[in-house]
Amino acid sequence: MAFVAKRCGVKFDPPSVVLVYEDGKTKKMRQRIMPVRNFSKFSDCSQAAERLKNNVRHSAYLEGVSLRQLERLHGVLRDRMRGRTLKQSLASLRLDPDQDLNKLSDEELARKKAQMDELFEHNRKRKDDPDFVYDLEVEFPEGTGHETCSWDEDESDDGF
Amino acid sequence: MAGHTGGIFALDQEKYDADEQVKIICLGDSAVGKSKLMERFLMDGYRPQQLSTYALTLYKYTTTIDGKTVLVDFWDTAGQERFQSMHPSYYHKAHACILVFDVQRKITYKNLTNWYKELREYRPEIPCIVVANKIDADLKVTQRTFSFAKKHGLPLYYVSAADGTNVVKLFKDAIKLAMSYKLNSSDFMDEVMRELENFELEQREESSDKEDDVIKEEKAKVA
Repeated sequence: MAFVAKRCGVKFDPPSVVLVYEDGKTKKMRQRIMPVRNFSKFSDCSQAAERLKNNVRHSAYLEGVSLRQLERLHGVLRDRMRGRTLKQSLASLRLDPDQDLNKLSDEELARKKAQMDELFEHNRKRKDDPDFVYDLEVEFPEGTGHETCSWDEDESDDGF
Repeated sequence: MAGHTGGIFALDQEKYDADEQVKIICLGDSAVGKSKLMERFLMDGYRPQQLSTYALTLYKYTTTIDGKTVLVDFWDTAGQERFQSMHPSYYHKAHACILVFDVQRKITYKNLTNWYKELREYRPEIPCIVVANKIDADLKVTQRTFSFAKKHGLPLYYVSAADGTNVVKLFKDAIKLAMSYKLNSSDFMDEVMRELENFELEQREESSDKEDDVIKEEKAKVA
Protein backbone atom coordinates (compact mmCIF):
# COMPACT_ATOMS: atom_id res chain seq x y z
CA MET A 1 0.00 0.00 0.00
CA ALA A 2 1.33 3.39 -0.95
CA PHE A 3 -0.08 5.11 2.12
CA VAL A 4 -0.38 3.52 5.52
CA ALA A 5 -3.08 5.16 7.64
CA LYS A 6 -1.97 5.64 11.23
CA ARG A 7 -4.49 7.87 12.92
CA CYS A 8 -7.63 9.72 12.04
CA GLY A 9 -9.30 12.73 13.57
CA VAL A 10 -11.32 15.86 12.88
CA LYS A 11 -10.86 19.60 12.69
CA PHE A 12 -13.88 21.77 13.38
CA ASP A 13 -12.94 24.91 11.48
CA PRO A 14 -13.38 24.41 8.65
CA PRO A 15 -14.99 20.99 9.18
CA SER A 16 -12.41 18.47 8.00
CA VAL A 17 -11.22 14.93 8.50
CA VAL A 18 -7.51 14.74 9.35
CA LEU A 19 -5.42 11.71 8.50
CA VAL A 20 -1.93 10.92 9.78
CA TYR A 21 -0.28 8.40 7.48
CA GLU A 22 3.05 6.97 6.47
CA ASP A 23 4.21 7.43 2.93
CA GLY A 24 5.09 3.93 1.69
CA LYS A 25 8.02 5.13 -0.43
CA THR A 26 9.70 7.70 1.76
CA LYS A 27 8.67 6.10 5.11
CA LYS A 28 7.88 9.62 6.32
CA MET A 29 4.89 10.49 8.49
CA ARG A 30 2.59 13.00 6.88
CA GLN A 31 -0.68 14.68 7.65
CA ARG A 32 -3.53 15.20 5.25
CA ILE A 33 -6.46 17.51 5.87
CA MET A 34 -9.58 16.68 3.91
CA PRO A 35 -12.31 19.32 4.08
CA VAL A 36 -15.82 17.96 4.39
CA ARG A 37 -17.97 19.82 1.89
CA ASN A 38 -21.71 20.27 1.56
CA PHE A 39 -22.18 19.00 5.06
CA SER A 40 -24.65 20.52 7.51
CA LYS A 41 -26.30 19.61 10.77
CA PHE A 42 -29.05 17.93 8.74
CA SER A 43 -26.74 15.76 6.66
CA ASP A 44 -26.60 12.00 6.66
CA CYS A 45 -23.29 10.84 8.12
CA SER A 46 -23.05 7.52 6.33
CA GLN A 47 -23.66 9.15 2.96
CA ALA A 48 -21.10 11.85 3.67
CA ALA A 49 -18.58 9.25 4.84
CA GLU A 50 -19.06 7.28 1.67
CA ARG A 51 -18.63 10.40 -0.41
CA LEU A 52 -15.32 11.16 1.26
CA LYS A 53 -14.07 7.61 0.98
CA ASN A 54 -14.81 7.55 -2.74
CA ASN A 55 -13.46 11.03 -3.40
CA VAL A 56 -10.99 10.86 -6.30
CA ARG A 57 -8.40 12.95 -4.52
CA HIS A 58 -8.64 11.19 -1.14
CA SER A 59 -9.65 7.59 -1.75
CA ALA A 60 -6.07 6.29 -2.08
CA TYR A 61 -5.19 7.72 1.32
CA LEU A 62 -8.36 6.43 2.98
CA GLU A 63 -8.01 2.85 1.85
CA GLY A 64 -6.95 1.73 5.31
CA VAL A 65 -9.69 3.67 7.10
CA SER A 66 -13.01 1.90 7.57
CA LEU A 67 -16.24 3.46 6.42
CA ARG A 68 -17.55 3.05 9.94
CA GLN A 69 -14.77 5.16 11.40
CA LEU A 70 -15.35 7.87 8.83
CA GLU A 71 -19.02 7.77 9.69
CA ARG A 72 -18.21 8.28 13.37
CA LEU A 73 -15.93 11.21 12.58
CA HIS A 74 -18.69 12.84 10.54
CA GLY A 75 -20.95 12.25 13.51
CA VAL A 76 -18.59 14.24 15.71
CA LEU A 77 -18.51 17.07 13.16
CA ARG A 78 -22.27 17.14 12.90
CA ASP A 79 -22.70 17.06 16.66
CA ARG A 80 -20.57 20.19 16.82
CA MET A 81 -22.82 21.89 14.24
CA ARG A 82 -25.76 20.98 16.44
CA GLY A 83 -24.13 22.62 19.42
CA ARG A 84 -22.95 19.56 21.29
CA THR A 85 -19.59 19.59 23.00
CA LEU A 86 -16.81 17.23 22.03
CA LYS A 87 -17.15 15.53 25.38
CA GLN A 88 -20.85 14.87 24.81
CA SER A 89 -20.36 13.47 21.36
CA LEU A 90 -17.52 11.21 22.44
CA ALA A 91 -19.72 9.92 25.26
CA SER A 92 -22.41 9.04 22.76
CA LEU A 93 -19.84 6.98 20.87
CA ARG A 94 -18.88 4.96 23.90
CA LEU A 95 -20.92 2.11 25.26
CA ASP A 96 -21.75 2.61 28.88
CA PRO A 97 -23.12 -0.62 30.37
CA ASP A 98 -25.18 1.33 32.89
CA GLN A 99 -26.79 3.74 30.46
CA ASP A 100 -30.51 3.27 29.96
CA LEU A 101 -30.89 3.15 26.19
CA ASN A 102 -34.68 3.21 26.48
CA LYS A 103 -34.44 6.94 26.94
CA LEU A 104 -32.56 7.69 23.71
CA SER A 105 -33.90 9.12 20.47
CA ASP A 106 -34.01 6.90 17.39
CA GLU A 107 -30.84 8.37 16.03
CA GLU A 108 -28.82 8.10 19.22
CA LEU A 109 -30.06 4.56 19.66
CA ALA A 110 -29.03 3.70 16.10
CA ARG A 111 -25.54 4.93 16.94
CA LYS A 112 -25.31 2.60 19.93
CA LYS A 113 -26.70 -0.28 17.94
CA ALA A 114 -24.12 0.31 15.21
CA GLN A 115 -21.36 -0.07 17.79
CA MET A 116 -22.86 -3.27 19.16
CA ASP A 117 -23.19 -4.55 15.61
CA GLU A 118 -19.42 -4.63 15.28
CA LEU A 119 -19.13 -7.44 17.81
CA PHE A 120 -22.25 -9.09 16.43
CA GLU A 121 -20.84 -9.22 12.92
CA HIS A 122 -17.49 -10.40 14.24
CA ASN A 123 -19.01 -13.35 16.10
CA ARG A 124 -21.71 -14.03 13.57
CA LYS A 125 -22.15 -17.47 12.05
CA ARG A 126 -23.69 -17.24 8.62
CA LYS A 127 -25.74 -19.73 6.71
CA ASP A 128 -22.93 -20.25 4.18
CA ASP A 129 -20.28 -20.92 6.85
CA PRO A 130 -19.14 -24.56 6.67
CA ASP A 131 -19.78 -25.11 10.39
CA PHE A 132 -23.17 -23.44 10.45
CA VAL A 133 -25.83 -25.32 12.42
CA TYR A 134 -29.37 -23.93 12.28
CA ASP A 135 -30.66 -25.53 15.46
CA LEU A 136 -27.55 -25.20 17.61
CA GLU A 137 -28.26 -26.41 21.12
CA VAL A 138 -25.77 -26.07 23.91
CA GLU A 139 -26.53 -27.05 27.48
CA PHE A 140 -25.16 -24.97 30.26
CA PRO A 141 -25.74 -27.15 33.27
CA GLU A 142 -26.81 -25.40 36.37
CA GLY A 143 -25.50 -26.81 39.59
CA THR A 144 -22.36 -26.82 41.64
CA GLY A 145 -19.58 -24.35 41.13
CA HIS A 146 -21.86 -21.60 39.99
CA GLU A 147 -20.97 -18.07 40.86
CA THR A 148 -23.80 -15.91 42.01
CA CYS A 149 -24.14 -12.99 39.71
CA SER A 150 -22.84 -9.74 41.12
CA TRP A 151 -25.76 -8.09 39.36
CA ASP A 152 -27.99 -9.63 41.99
CA GLU A 153 -26.18 -8.16 44.94
CA ASP A 154 -28.12 -4.93 45.33
CA GLU A 155 -31.45 -6.58 45.76
CA SER A 156 -33.12 -3.77 47.69
CA ASP A 157 -34.63 -2.14 44.61
CA ASP A 158 -36.03 -5.42 43.39
CA GLY A 159 -38.72 -6.06 45.91
CA PHE A 160 -41.85 -7.44 44.37
CA MET B 1 -48.89 9.45 21.57
CA ALA B 2 -51.35 8.67 24.33
CA GLY B 3 -54.43 8.86 22.13
CA HIS B 4 -53.13 6.12 19.85
CA THR B 5 -53.50 3.28 22.31
CA GLY B 6 -56.94 2.31 21.14
CA GLY B 7 -56.05 2.55 17.49
CA ILE B 8 -53.83 -0.49 17.46
CA PHE B 9 -56.81 -2.70 18.10
CA ALA B 10 -57.70 -1.98 14.50
CA LEU B 11 -54.93 -4.53 13.89
CA ASP B 12 -57.44 -7.32 14.14
CA GLN B 13 -56.48 -9.06 17.35
CA GLU B 14 -59.69 -11.10 17.39
CA LYS B 15 -57.95 -13.68 15.24
CA TYR B 16 -55.85 -14.76 18.22
CA ASP B 17 -58.99 -16.39 19.61
CA ALA B 18 -58.94 -18.96 16.83
CA ASP B 19 -57.49 -22.31 17.87
CA GLU B 20 -54.68 -22.37 15.37
CA GLN B 21 -53.40 -18.84 16.03
CA VAL B 22 -50.99 -17.84 18.76
CA LYS B 23 -49.41 -14.56 19.67
CA ILE B 24 -45.97 -14.39 21.28
CA ILE B 25 -44.49 -11.12 22.47
CA CYS B 26 -40.80 -10.23 22.72
CA LEU B 27 -40.07 -7.80 25.52
CA GLY B 28 -36.97 -6.15 26.88
CA ASP B 29 -34.89 -2.99 26.75
CA SER B 30 -33.74 -1.27 23.59
CA ALA B 31 -30.80 -2.96 21.88
CA VAL B 32 -30.84 -6.23 23.82
CA GLY B 33 -31.14 -8.04 20.48
CA LYS B 34 -34.84 -8.89 20.19
CA SER B 35 -34.99 -8.36 16.43
CA LYS B 36 -31.68 -10.11 15.91
CA LEU B 37 -33.04 -13.16 17.72
CA MET B 38 -36.17 -13.15 15.56
CA GLU B 39 -34.12 -12.88 12.41
CA ARG B 40 -31.78 -15.69 13.45
CA PHE B 41 -34.73 -17.98 14.13
CA LEU B 42 -36.58 -17.21 10.90
CA MET B 43 -33.44 -16.85 8.72
CA ASP B 44 -34.44 -16.02 5.15
CA GLY B 45 -37.98 -17.16 5.66
CA TYR B 46 -39.15 -14.06 7.45
CA ARG B 47 -41.49 -11.44 6.14
CA PRO B 48 -41.59 -8.80 8.83
CA GLN B 49 -44.31 -6.22 8.81
CA GLN B 50 -43.11 -2.89 10.15
CA LEU B 51 -45.74 -0.92 11.97
CA SER B 52 -43.73 2.10 12.93
CA THR B 53 -46.72 3.99 14.31
CA TYR B 54 -47.04 1.29 16.92
CA ALA B 55 -43.29 0.83 17.37
CA LEU B 56 -43.80 -2.76 16.45
CA THR B 57 -42.52 -5.36 14.01
CA LEU B 58 -44.69 -8.37 13.29
CA TYR B 59 -43.13 -11.63 12.17
CA LYS B 60 -45.39 -14.37 10.90
CA TYR B 61 -44.39 -17.98 11.18
CA THR B 62 -46.15 -21.21 10.32
CA THR B 63 -45.37 -24.55 11.92
CA THR B 64 -46.97 -27.91 12.57
CA ILE B 65 -47.69 -29.20 16.06
CA ASP B 66 -49.21 -32.68 16.48
CA GLY B 67 -50.18 -32.70 12.83
CA LYS B 68 -51.99 -29.38 13.09
CA THR B 69 -50.89 -26.23 11.32
CA VAL B 70 -50.25 -23.40 13.74
CA LEU B 71 -49.87 -19.77 12.75
CA VAL B 72 -47.61 -17.83 15.06
CA ASP B 73 -47.42 -14.05 15.21
CA PHE B 74 -44.32 -12.77 16.95
CA TRP B 75 -44.67 -9.24 18.23
CA ASP B 76 -41.26 -7.64 18.35
CA THR B 77 -41.72 -4.53 20.44
CA ALA B 78 -39.74 -1.33 20.94
CA GLY B 79 -38.04 -0.82 24.26
CA GLN B 80 -37.97 2.95 24.11
CA GLU B 81 -39.88 4.76 26.81
CA ARG B 82 -41.80 7.03 24.50
CA PHE B 83 -43.74 4.02 23.28
CA GLN B 84 -45.01 3.22 26.74
CA SER B 85 -48.60 3.99 25.71
CA MET B 86 -48.48 1.15 23.17
CA HIS B 87 -47.78 -1.50 25.77
CA PRO B 88 -51.37 -2.52 26.59
CA SER B 89 -51.91 -3.60 22.99
CA TYR B 90 -48.69 -5.59 23.02
CA TYR B 91 -49.95 -7.64 25.95
CA HIS B 92 -53.52 -7.96 24.67
CA LYS B 93 -54.32 -11.63 23.97
CA ALA B 94 -50.67 -12.72 24.10
CA HIS B 95 -50.13 -16.42 24.79
CA ALA B 96 -46.45 -16.38 25.75
CA CYS B 97 -43.68 -13.93 26.39
CA ILE B 98 -39.96 -13.94 25.60
CA LEU B 99 -38.25 -11.55 28.00
CA VAL B 100 -34.74 -10.60 26.87
CA PHE B 101 -31.74 -8.95 28.52
CA ASP B 102 -28.18 -8.28 27.34
CA VAL B 103 -25.50 -10.05 29.40
CA GLN B 104 -23.15 -7.18 28.67
CA ARG B 105 -25.37 -4.51 30.16
CA LYS B 106 -26.44 -4.75 33.75
CA ILE B 107 -29.19 -2.16 33.40
CA THR B 108 -31.07 -4.38 30.96
CA TYR B 109 -31.07 -7.11 33.59
CA LYS B 110 -32.23 -4.71 36.29
CA ASN B 111 -35.04 -3.49 34.05
CA LEU B 112 -36.43 -7.03 33.73
CA THR B 113 -38.20 -6.30 36.99
CA ASN B 114 -40.20 -3.47 35.39
CA TRP B 115 -41.01 -5.40 32.25
CA TYR B 116 -42.11 -8.42 34.20
CA LYS B 117 -44.23 -6.42 36.60
CA GLU B 118 -46.04 -4.75 33.73
CA LEU B 119 -46.47 -8.06 31.89
CA ARG B 120 -48.12 -9.59 34.93
CA GLU B 121 -50.52 -6.68 35.31
CA TYR B 122 -51.95 -7.51 31.91
CA ARG B 123 -51.24 -11.22 31.58
CA PRO B 124 -50.95 -12.77 35.03
CA GLU B 125 -50.63 -16.35 33.85
CA ILE B 126 -49.02 -16.62 30.43
CA PRO B 127 -45.76 -18.60 30.18
CA CYS B 128 -42.65 -16.44 30.13
CA ILE B 129 -39.06 -17.36 29.24
CA VAL B 130 -36.14 -15.23 30.41
CA VAL B 131 -33.38 -14.92 27.83
CA ALA B 132 -29.75 -14.02 28.50
CA ASN B 133 -28.62 -12.86 25.05
CA LYS B 134 -25.17 -12.12 23.60
CA ILE B 135 -23.35 -14.91 25.46
CA ASP B 136 -20.91 -14.98 22.53
CA ALA B 137 -19.43 -11.77 23.93
CA ASP B 138 -18.27 -13.61 27.04
CA LEU B 139 -19.05 -17.29 27.54
CA LYS B 140 -18.21 -17.04 31.21
CA VAL B 141 -21.61 -15.52 31.90
CA THR B 142 -23.12 -18.96 31.43
CA GLN B 143 -21.40 -19.98 34.67
CA ARG B 144 -23.34 -17.35 36.53
CA THR B 145 -26.77 -17.76 37.98
CA PHE B 146 -29.10 -14.88 37.37
CA SER B 147 -31.48 -15.04 40.26
CA PHE B 148 -34.28 -13.06 38.59
CA ALA B 149 -35.47 -16.12 36.69
CA LYS B 150 -35.26 -18.43 39.67
CA LYS B 151 -36.99 -15.95 41.93
CA HIS B 152 -40.04 -15.84 39.66
CA GLY B 153 -39.92 -19.53 38.77
CA LEU B 154 -39.16 -18.84 35.11
CA PRO B 155 -36.92 -20.82 32.75
CA LEU B 156 -33.66 -19.09 31.77
CA TYR B 157 -32.06 -19.64 28.36
CA TYR B 158 -28.49 -18.66 27.53
CA VAL B 159 -28.50 -17.65 23.87
CA SER B 160 -26.55 -15.86 21.18
CA ALA B 161 -28.27 -14.34 18.17
CA ALA B 162 -24.82 -13.96 16.57
CA ASP B 163 -23.61 -17.57 16.64
CA GLY B 164 -27.07 -19.09 17.00
CA THR B 165 -26.64 -20.86 20.34
CA ASN B 166 -30.04 -22.05 21.62
CA VAL B 167 -32.02 -19.58 19.50
CA VAL B 168 -34.09 -22.15 17.63
CA LYS B 169 -34.70 -24.13 20.81
CA LEU B 170 -35.89 -20.96 22.53
CA PHE B 171 -38.50 -20.16 19.88
CA LYS B 172 -39.67 -23.74 19.47
CA ASP B 173 -40.16 -24.04 23.22
CA ALA B 174 -41.93 -20.68 23.35
CA ILE B 175 -44.37 -21.83 20.65
CA LYS B 176 -45.04 -25.07 22.55
CA LEU B 177 -45.67 -23.14 25.75
CA ALA B 178 -47.95 -20.68 23.96
CA MET B 179 -49.97 -23.55 22.45
CA SER B 180 -50.34 -25.43 25.69
CA TYR B 181 -51.32 -22.26 27.49
CA LYS B 182 -53.91 -21.56 24.85
CA LEU B 183 -55.40 -25.04 25.04
CA ASN B 184 -55.39 -25.31 28.82
CA SER B 185 -55.81 -21.70 29.75
CA SER B 186 -57.35 -21.03 33.09
CA ASP B 187 -56.14 -17.49 33.08
CA PHE B 188 -58.39 -15.44 35.28
CA MET B 189 -58.47 -12.48 32.92
CA ASP B 190 -59.28 -14.73 30.00
CA GLU B 191 -62.14 -16.22 31.99
CA VAL B 192 -63.44 -12.78 32.86
CA MET B 193 -63.23 -11.67 29.26
CA ARG B 194 -65.08 -14.75 28.11
CA GLU B 195 -67.76 -14.22 30.75
CA LEU B 196 -68.16 -10.62 29.67
CA GLU B 197 -68.48 -11.59 26.04
CA ASN B 198 -71.11 -14.20 26.84
CA PHE B 199 -72.90 -11.72 29.03
CA GLU B 200 -73.09 -9.20 26.21
CA LEU B 201 -74.37 -11.85 23.84
CA GLU B 202 -77.08 -12.93 26.29
CA GLN B 203 -78.16 -9.37 26.80
CA ARG B 204 -78.40 -8.81 23.10
CA GLU B 205 -80.47 -11.93 22.68
CA GLU B 206 -82.74 -10.90 25.49
CA SER B 207 -83.38 -7.50 24.03
CA SER B 208 -84.13 -8.94 20.63
CA ASP B 209 -86.57 -11.34 22.27
CA LYS B 210 -88.39 -8.41 23.77
CA GLU B 211 -88.63 -6.71 20.43
CA ASP B 212 -90.08 -9.85 19.00
CA ASP B 213 -92.66 -9.88 21.75
CA VAL B 214 -93.62 -6.31 21.05
CA ILE B 215 -93.95 -7.07 17.40
CA LYS B 216 -96.05 -10.12 18.17
CA GLU B 217 -98.28 -8.06 20.44
CA GLU B 218 -98.71 -5.48 17.75
CA LYS B 219 -99.51 -8.20 15.27
CA ALA B 220 -102.00 -9.60 17.72
CA LYS B 221 -103.66 -6.20 18.01
CA VAL B 222 -103.86 -5.88 14.27
CA ALA B 223 -105.38 -9.30 14.03
